[in-house]
Parts: sequence; C-alpha cells; structure tokens
Amino acid sequence: MIEAFFEGLLLVLQWKAFAFMLLGILLGFWVGLLPGLGGTTTLALMLPFIYAMQPIEGFAFLLGMHAVVATTGDITSVLFGVPGEGTTAATILDGHAMAKQGEAGRALGAVLASSLVGAIVGAVALALAVPVVRPLVLSFGSPELFMIAIVGLAFIASLSAEGARGMLRGFLAGGLGLLVATVGQDPQAGVARFTFDSLYLWGGLDLVPVLVGIFAIPEIIDLAVRGTSIAGELPAGRLSKGAFEGVKDTFRHFWLTIRCSLIGTFIGIMPGIGGAVSQWLAYGHAAQSARTPEERKRFGQGDVRGVLGPGAANNSKEGGALIPTVAFGVPGSSSMAILLGGFFLMGLVPGPDMLTKHLTVTFSMVWTIVLANVITVAACFLFLNHLARLTSVRGQLLIPVILVLIFVGSYTSNSHYGDILVMFVFGAVGYLMVIGGWPRAPFVLGLVLGKIAENYLYISVARYEAAWLTRPIVLVLLALAVGVVLYPLIQSRRARSRKAQHA
Amino acid sequence: MHNRASLILGVAIMICSGWAVYAASGWPWKAALFPMVIGIPVFCMAAAEVAWVLLGKNPAARAMDFQISSDLPGGLVIRRTLLAAAWMLGFFAVIVLVGFPVAVPLFVFLYLRLQGREGWLFSAIFSAIVWALFYAIFKWLLNLPFPAGWLF
Amino acid sequence: MKNALALVAALALAAIAPQAAAQFEGKTVTIVVGFKTGGGYDRTARILARHLPKYLPGKPNVIVQNMPGANSIIAANHVYGVAKPDGLTLGTFNRNLVLAQLTKVSGVKYDMTRFAWIGSAASESTVLAIRSDLPYKSFDEMRKAGKTVVIGATGPGANTYDFPLLLKELLGVDIKIVSGYSSSSDIMLALERKEVDGRAGSYSSLQTFVERGTVRPLVRARAVEPGIEKLPVDENLAPNARAKAIMALRSAPEVVGRPFVMTPGTPEPLLKAMRDAFAKAIKDPELIAEARKAKMDLEYMPGDEALRLVKEVLSQPKEVVDEFGKYIKFGE
Repeated sequence: MIEAFFEGLLLVLQWKAFAFMLLGILLGFWVGLLPGLGGTTTLALMLPFIYAMQPIEGFAFLLGMHAVVATTGDITSVLFGVPGEGTTAATILDGHAMAKQGEAGRALGAVLASSLVGAIVGAVALALAVPVVRPLVLSFGSPELFMIAIVGLAFIASLSAEGARGMLRGFLAGGLGLLVATVGQDPQAGVARFTFDSLYLWGGLDLVPVLVGIFAIPEIIDLAVRGTSIAGELPAGRLSKGAFEGVKDTFRHFWLTIRCSLIGTFIGIMPGIGGAVSQWLAYGHAAQSARTPEERKRFGQGDVRGVLGPGAANNSKEGGALIPTVAFGVPGSSSMAILLGGFFLMGLVPGPDMLTKHLTVTFSMVWTIVLANVITVAACFLFLNHLARLTSVRGQLLIPVILVLIFVGSYTSNSHYGDILVMFVFGAVGYLMVIGGWPRAPFVLGLVLGKIAENYLYISVARYEAAWLTRPIVLVLLALAVGVVLYPLIQSRRARSRKAQHA
Repeated sequence: MHNRASLILGVAIMICSGWAVYAASGWPWKAALFPMVIGIPVFCMAAAEVAWVLLGKNPAARAMDFQISSDLPGGLVIRRTLLAAAWMLGFFAVIVLVGFPVAVPLFVFLYLRLQGREGWLFSAIFSAIVWALFYAIFKWLLNLPFPAGWLF
Repeated sequence: MKNALALVAALALAAIAPQAAAQFEGKTVTIVVGFKTGGGYDRTARILARHLPKYLPGKPNVIVQNMPGANSIIAANHVYGVAKPDGLTLGTFNRNLVLAQLTKVSGVKYDMTRFAWIGSAASESTVLAIRSDLPYKSFDEMRKAGKTVVIGATGPGANTYDFPLLLKELLGVDIKIVSGYSSSSDIMLALERKEVDGRAGSYSSLQTFVERGTVRPLVRARAVEPGIEKLPVDENLAPNARAKAIMALRSAPEVVGRPFVMTPGTPEPLLKAMRDAFAKAIKDPELIAEARKAKMDLEYMPGDEALRLVKEVLSQPKEVVDEFGKYIKFGE
C-alpha cells in the first residue's frame, strides 16, 4: 500500500496529467466562481473531451476541476452573498457579513485556508479509509441514515435566535423547510403532493433557485437600498490586510476546523444524503462552539467560525464522496455520478478492484485532490487583494452583473422559467425573514433534510418494522440528537448561574 | 417593520400549513403522514407567533442572520426596496419578451443609465463587455440554448 | 419499368438531398433531452450529437439541451407543441411516456402517434436480480422457497418498482417492495448491506454487478439483450390472458428503449435525412468504439417500426388499460 501511495503521486506529476489537471483547475475556478454555472452540469459537459485522454489524464482533469469548484464557490458567497454553488450557501451567513464590515480579505483568507485544510483532511480520510471503508459504509443502513437526518434537524435548535421566541421562529422556519421539501411526487404512493397540477413541480423544488432566492435577493435589495459598495463607507485600507488574519484564524480555531472537516467527510461518505447537507451541519456545529449565548448571537453577524466550518466541510466532503464511488461504484453525490461515467469511459470498473488491483489509481486521485486544492488556494491568495477590492466597487455596477448571473444560472439548470419564478418567491420569503428577524439556516436544513428523513423512515419501518429502533448505531445517534438539541439550553442555564454567582 | 414582517410570515405560514394539512387529509396515509405530522405543529406554532405579535410581546433579540441596514430613513428604504424589486421583475419580463441574449445587454445598459446614473459611453461599453462574456461562456463555450422571446 | 422507377427514385432523392442540405446548412440542430445531464438518455443523446453531423446534409452543428421535469413530460410537450417543425429540433424522453398518454396522466399535451418518429437508439430490457449469496438459482426456486423476498425500489413509475409489483400482484410471488431509495445506486448499496435482497432494473445498469458476481438475474421482461436470452420471461409465466396483456403493456415501450422524435409536421425530406443519418451514425465505427467504452449498446430501430409499436400500445382494449392503471402509476 505504501508503494501505491507514492506511485500515485508520481502518476499525477507526469507532465501531461499535470497539465490537464491545471486545465481542469482553471475551468473549475470559473465554474465555482460564477453562480450561473453549476459544477455538475459542467462536469457532464466536459465528459466528451475525456474520450481523447488517457485514464490518468482524464481523471486529473475531471478531479482537478471538481475539487476546485467548492473553494471558489465560497469566494462568491463571501464577496457577493450569492451562492456560487448549491454547496456553498452556508458561507454566506457569516462570510458576507464580514465582507460588509470591510473584512472581506479576512473572510476570504479564512475560507481559503479552511478549504485547504478540509480538502487535505478529506483526501487523507480517503487514503486511510481504504481498508475500513467497506465495513464502515455497510454498517450505516437506512435506519442510521434516518437518524443522521434527525441529528441534522436537531441543529435547528442551535441555529435559532436567542430565547424561547427565537426557538419558536427557528422551528417555524425549519418546519416550513420540511413542508416545502414534501412538494412533488411521493415515492410511496405516487401521489403528486402540492403540485397545483403543474408539471414543473412534479419533481419537487430544485435547491439552487430556492437558495439563490432566499440568500441572494435580500442581499441585492440591501445593496440597492444602501446605495454604496458592499463594504460600505469603510476606508479602502482595511480591506487588504485581512487575508493573513483569516489564515491565522483558521489556526486559532484549528480543532474546530478539523472537526468540521471530519463532519464534511463523514457526510460525504454516506451516500444518499447529498452534498448540500454537510456545510449546514458544520455551520451548526461551529455555532455550538460559541461558549455563551451572547457569543452565539454574533453568528450570522460576522463571526469567522461561521466561515471556517462550512468552508472546511464543503471541501472535505468531496474526498469523502469519492470513497463510496471508488469502493462500491455507488456515487456519493450527483457530481460523483458523472465522475463514475468518466470511470467507465476509461475502462476502470469501480468496486473492490479499485482498492486492490488499481490502488495506485485511487491514490493518484487522492493526490490530485490535494494538489489541485493547494494550487488553487495558492493562486487565489495571489489575487486575493484584487478580489477583495471588488467589495469597494459601486453597488450600482455590481448589481446588474450579479442579477444577470443569477437569472441565467437559475434558468439553465432546467431550461424552465419556473426556476426564476421560484427564485422570486423565495426571494420574497428570504427578505421577509431578514426583516422580521427570523433565522434562515433552519429553513435550509429542513429543506435539504426533509426528503431524506421521510424516505429513510419509511424504508426503515417497511424493512425492519419496529426493530430498527434498537440498533446500536441508531441509539448512539439518537443520544447525539438529544444532546445537540439540549446543548444550547444547558449552555444558557450555566451562563445564568455563572452570572448569578458573580452578582 | 420587524413586527409587520413577522406578522406577514406568520399568517402566510398559517395559511400554507393549514391548507397543506387539509389537502393531505384526502391522500392515502403513506403520502399524507409526513405533511400532516409536520403541518399540524407548524400551524400551531405559526398561530402562536401571530398571537404574540398581535399582543405586542416582541423580543429585542435578533436572529442569527444578517440585518438589513437600518441607518437610513424608513421612507427612503421602502422606496428603494420597491424600486429594486421593480427592476428585478422588469428584467424577468424583458427576458420573457425578447429572450436572454437581447435582454441581458439591454437590462445592464438601462440599469446603469437610469439607476446608476452612469454616462452613455460607460454604460454602453460596460453592457457590451457583459454581453460579450455572457455570449462567450454560455452560448459559445457551453452551447446552452435559450428560448426565443414572445416578441422576437 | 423497373429502370424507370429507379430513375424516378434517384431523381427524387437527388431533389431531396439539396433541399435537406439547404435546410441544415449553417444551422444548429438541438436535441432536447427530458432528463438532467449525466443520465442514460442524456449520454445517448450526446454520443449521437457528436457523430450525427457527418451524416447530415449540410453538416450542421448538433447540440443537446436538457429540459428535465415531470419525468420528461415537459420535454415531450415542448417538442410536440412549442418547437417549430423546421427539422432543427429533436426530442428524446422517457420510453414510458406512451403509457402516460395511455393512462391519461394530467399534463400530457402530446400524442405519441403524431410525432415525426426518427426511431429508437437502443432497447432496454428490465430484469429482476437477486443477491448472489441467496440460495435461489432460478426464478422457480425463489417462488417455491416460500420466504418473502425484499426488493428495493425508487418509486412508482420506475421499472425498479413496477416490474416487481406486477410479479407480486399478477404472479403471486412473495415479494415485499421497499420504496423510497433516491437512486438505483442507493438500492445497490442497500443490497450489499443485506438490507434488501434484490432489485429490478434495466439490464444495462445491472450488468456490471452481474459480471462482478454481486447479483444474479432471475427473470426478465420481453425485450432481449445479449446475456439474458435464457431467462424466463414474466409474460410467459402469466396465469391468464389478462395478466399477460398487462405485463406485455408494461414491457412494450422497452423495445423502443431510447426514442427519438421530431416535431409533428416536420417536412418529409428533413425527416428522411435525419432517419438516414441516425441509421448511419449508429453504425459508425467511431461511435461504436466510444459506446463500448461507455458501456452503451446502441442499435437502430427505424421510425416506422417504433411508431407501429407505439400505436399497438395505444390501441389496447379499455378493460386492460383500466386494470393496468390500477397497478402502474406513471411517476416522477
């Protein structure tokens, strides 16, 4: 195995494969940055060009492109408050808030450094998991996946505003997300739920238009209202110095970054959960790392930990998602499904063979992820100050460009105007939530976890009847969920008693 | 403003969840279970929220989310918000009428000129650049087709 | 006399070819795909898009547009009613859309018999496969064993669900269908976890797992593909004519596995040019090599044959259709 580890590196460093990886990185850089382009669609569109390449070159290209998208998507989220990808929306909450306070440089530095850490953790996990991956994935069945969804939903408690009223609004937002997730045809009885006889709604709501609407539209309105640049009236000098500060933050909160990377990797390994979930779980966990309720209130206002968590998680999940793809031939996410197509084109059959006969290829993929991320982060740091300066450009210039990008982006995934209408509807919802002081994170959690929770619950009950409740991992996860819900309450009680002591 | 928005949201959620539960009651239980199990508590919670807003008990606590900048007079904020919304809806209308490739430069130009109060030359050049990039990436490179507008 | 006819035919063709070339020259042909990028229909469309231009007069550019939604009903409606019949729009969508029309699914705005049929690029057969470590080596053994077999499925309307449903309801096999998996790959994972005992699906998607020895196919539907010819066919095991008719109805569209059509009213010369291009492109050695690498097996079925099969499906007697509708719901 050690030989394969080093041989894999040599494979990537061959000049042709390396060149293709650079090409992939260049492409992925722009795909992630522009909200109009989706990483999945572009990956699929590039597949035909792989025909002409050797397997290693093809991988270097595909993976190079894919590994980078999550990093640059974060950049768009931070600078403009627009999700560059469906998987980078969580970074908007604190990242863009920091940009508005003139700390764009710091936020970008944090995002890039945490993305790198996350990518490395994910790649290391992929390398280390090789012997244990099969038993690990096989021990998480539908009941366990359902409980993971419940743990995710439990984070709603931590992501709500303070106090009983805050919790109520948080759960309302979460409940609304869960309800919206039920739109579409249900897989049990085939009933078209809440579709208003519209063919467009048959498959349910697409995540990207909803996310873009709920996050980007309020930001754009705010920008238009303020009439200034994103960073406001702050002097230009403060922008550039931030980047290194952001990197230092990553190391100041090193264990948090590692933990969030592990969360991302873990969720990435579990197939069937989907790419959008890990960033929100990481964000919820980062919010919990605040030691007092007052500290936690600052999340969403520009706490750098709210940037580190999702930044790390959405890169580490890529390494994680590669594991079931390579080891089982079962794609860990939709982008992995495309990668799988690439595998077949090159005559590589994913499965146990990839961990034995073709171990070198597997390791070369690990190295590609690491190298691609290192190169991207390094390149971004070079341009960081120029990127951060975009926040001092007049809002009136940015708004039309952003609008063009999000309109085109919403339209092109399904070639349907309905997506733009959805974007408007949720734009209105997002705007009202922001004005009313309602938290948006729980809504997104409910939306991305709703289908998973429902389907896996039905599968668990249909298959195991009541017996699934007593499975060991299920019980552990249940305890975890209870812990997650109670944690903020315990914290505030402790804070209150501490205040009483000092009084 | 906070309270009015909360009220609108609360009432809207009540209507949606109430209607959802009603619609779900006619379905086979497998399809109806989840919407009902979620819809009924959501309805009750929304009712509680609405009641609290009307009773005037409104906390000073803010959500863990960003705040709309509040350092401008309320009337100005409302006017600019409506204007921004109008521009967005207008863009969509133009797209439907003339198709993306024409709507994009048209919108950018009009926005810069009318809203941004930029000069003619600057607006024209900026729009041209945006249009060129749009064309290069979406039409030429990715070959994504866009539908024709209603007018042409 | 024959010479005269041949002369007339040649003249007619000579007249058509430049006409078609004039229509295609410098234009872009769009293939509208009713699914997202990356799926089977999309890949088939893209591989054809790459090789069609050389066989089309005027050598136009051929691109793919994804229009997913409502299990490709939206795409079919678009090609039927919105696209212009100028020969520049093709459509490919779910093979089961004819069944959606048959069972009068609301929202269907197309009529399968009125499309300008180009043909089908492949046939896709459904099989039911069971975990290899289970003791049943044949369909009969499984039925006789008397133990419930748990089959994983994605949802009504997919062959993962419908095929075992009919086996259960019409043949009385002791099957429990556990539905709700997000994709067939997730079902495979559940299978390796021993959460489910087997799954149904298109043979092409199961082939890798069969070759690896993970699953064993036990019974198939009517359409044949190399490798599964010897399996028992579900229709042949039906206890009565009605059951056989229902199973046949479910399987019928599978022979027209990757349907390609053009807008109704497309002029004859253009349709003919497209049909010829398809037939030639599918036999193109480069395409065959690419398809083999991508594990796709393409085979051309002419448009007239496809149309005939579609008409056959739609002319089933009402009682059969009604009972069919009781079991099979067209789904997402």
